[in-house]
Amino acid sequence: MITRSLKRITSVWIITVLVLFVTAIIFGITMRFNQGKDLTMSPVGFYSLMTTHGITMIGIWAAAGLVAVNYLLGRYVKVSVSLNVFAFVTTVIGVLMIWATTFIGKYHAGWTFLYPLPLQVAWAKWATPVFLFGLGILGAGWLIWSVGMLLQILSKYSLKQAFAWQHFSKNPAVETPPLVLISTVSLIGIIVSLLTAVILLVLYFLEYFSGGNFTNDPLLMKNLTYFFGHTIANESLYLGLAAVYELMPESSGRPRFKTTWYVALAWNCTLVFILTAFFHHLYMDFVQPVGFQMIGQLASYFASLPAAAVTAFSVIALVYRGRIRWSLTNTLFFIGIMGWLIGGIGAVIDATVSNNMILHNTLWVPAHFHTYNAMGNVLFCLAFFNWVAHEFAGTQASVKSFRLTTVLLLIGGFGFVLMFYLGGAYSMPRRFSVYPQEFTHAAILASLGAWFATVYLVAIVLIFANIIKKCLKVFSPSFSS
Amino acid sequence: MVNGQAGKINPKFREFNYGLSSGKVCLITDAGRRQFHYNKSNEMREHAILLTIFLVAATAISLFFFFIYRSSLPEDGKGMVNAGKKRLFFALILASVLIILLTVTLPKSPYFLFADETPAKVVYVAARQYSYTMSYQAIDPKSAGRSDTIELPVNQPVEFRVTSFDVNHGFSIYNDRAELVTQTQAMPGYVNRLRWVFTEPGTYNVLCLEYCGVGHPIMRTSFTVK
Repeated sequence: MITRSLKRITSVWIITVLVLFVTAIIFGITMRFNQGKDLTMSPVGFYSLMTTHGITMIGIWAAAGLVAVNYLLGRYVKVSVSLNVFAFVTTVIGVLMIWATTFIGKYHAGWTFLYPLPLQVAWAKWATPVFLFGLGILGAGWLIWSVGMLLQILSKYSLKQAFAWQHFSKNPAVETPPLVLISTVSLIGIIVSLLTAVILLVLYFLEYFSGGNFTNDPLLMKNLTYFFGHTIANESLYLGLAAVYELMPESSGRPRFKTTWYVALAWNCTLVFILTAFFHHLYMDFVQPVGFQMIGQLASYFASLPAAAVTAFSVIALVYRGRIRWSLTNTLFFIGIMGWLIGGIGAVIDATVSNNMILHNTLWVPAHFHTYNAMGNVLFCLAFFNWVAHEFAGTQASVKSFRLTTVLLLIGGFGFVLMFYLGGAYSMPRRFSVYPQEFTHAAILASLGAWFATVYLVAIVLIFANIIKKCLKVFSPSFSS
Repeated sequence: MVNGQAGKINPKFREFNYGLSSGKVCLITDAGRRQFHYNKSNEMREHAILLTIFLVAATAISLFFFFIYRSSLPEDGKGMVNAGKKRLFFALILASVLIILLTVTLPKSPYFLFADETPAKVVYVAARQYSYTMSYQAIDPKSAGRSDTIELPVNQPVEFRVTSFDVNHGFSIYNDRAELVTQTQAMPGYVNRLRWVFTEPGTYNVLCLEYCGVGHPIMRTSFTVK
């Protein structure tokens, strides 16, 4: 049941996410202009901004996926608005704490806060515990929210049905909607990654407050960090895909997707692959057991199989000669699938151990993750935002008004990531505030990247402007649910 | 020869003297060990090949999606015929490509490189914010800071034993054309052993590729291959 209060909190989330998104894009553009020597920042200023940019982007798009799934699950199960509001409050508190550490305390250990860098205090002393507490509050809110959503699914579907296992036999008595299946898989991944974050934070605090009596194991901490970071970033994308499955056919005037045996198989496999692929972040740590490194490449490779052969193929089959009624919503879904696949190619290249030796932590890394985020998951979520905004306003998506937006998005988005790919192919390191002289093309690539990102930003602002008025209608006294 | 045990030395990483005492530190497992001659003189070619593969694949996907989009516009579209067969065919092709790529690339993983060869030189590397110490002798963290001038032989296997005395760093070797040749991580409490054969003489720069704090981009050292 989608209630008025669910619509209102969804609207608040959408506006918050978009405001933070525009702000974080500006942070990113500022960093690229600094690398391009078009403006000059202090190194501390650069890395504080880098930390803020990373944690904000990861946070808002994980939140956006949860918001979308929470709203759409309301079609199938009873959802809790209270938990949603609770998560919003903890998110706001967490973000304010984290931003205070980076902007006031000059904390700059990066969003991955790789052990033991946060403990080598090179900023205000209070910033490290406040950053970790802020992350803990934010994570606790999402953990409770995610567990709540999973329990709500399980109150209607058995665990086997939530995983759609009955679809492995003919004529299943109960149909599990794709949204429920994908939400189950993704929420489990999110919950596991957040629980890992809890362990990680506890270990940090044990060392921080032990007065030197307790020291963590750096390899264990690295594994925990990347398990958490990789999993939450990827599950965010899968939450976005849940919205694609639910809304792409509906917004295109085509029959809805149904769960079949291969859809069920694909998403069950995806859960396994996504929980083991994180090992590819540790390829260059040769003390990691070799078996884990092999699992990392196998999982990274085979994660692409269900993604391409089931999800992407289903969208292509839906669109091909499908007499599609194109709107901003399904256009964003469609481009998002394309961006996701292109980013996936870049990711698979990097997830090959022998390639990783010459690509690890070069600009190839931000290249591929910006591709499947900025041109993939972000577009899935924006499509949901646009669809739900029209639902709030009771209007139909216009067919013509989005062409300029689409062109700006494509030119800006792909131009922006192309500069990263070229930088990666030229061996340029990531996370350098300025580049040494030997990287002769680094500054010009950074400048061009910043200008392309500015074009992308214009497209985002246009989408935002289109959405915000409709979202605000839910607060009108005359609004009817 | 090295054995296959795990590489942990001492969790109290500020106090250890690595590489000499135990013989436990190793990245190379006996399983999968193989003779493997790896010519790395063409770094630029490798980077160019990877970029080309990516750009060709990205262009093909973009054109394919444009074609799919165009096909959706006519009013007389009848949808995809035999979608199930096409999906199965596509999945089989993709799975075959992935298996072939895995078979080709996994043996080239750095964990198996030069595993059966005895290094002509061993270089000890200790990273710290924001410098490297490189020495032919094991480095005592209490007196770290003095580097040897490192000269390595061309076309012979050498081994770097890399650790860190504070946070995670990178140990990333660039040739004089600023092309990344190979790398490993410098992790506190652990020693990563990187084996390599330099096929080109010249000066090689070492940069940090793991974000380690505000001095990250200025952290560097160099050595010579003759």
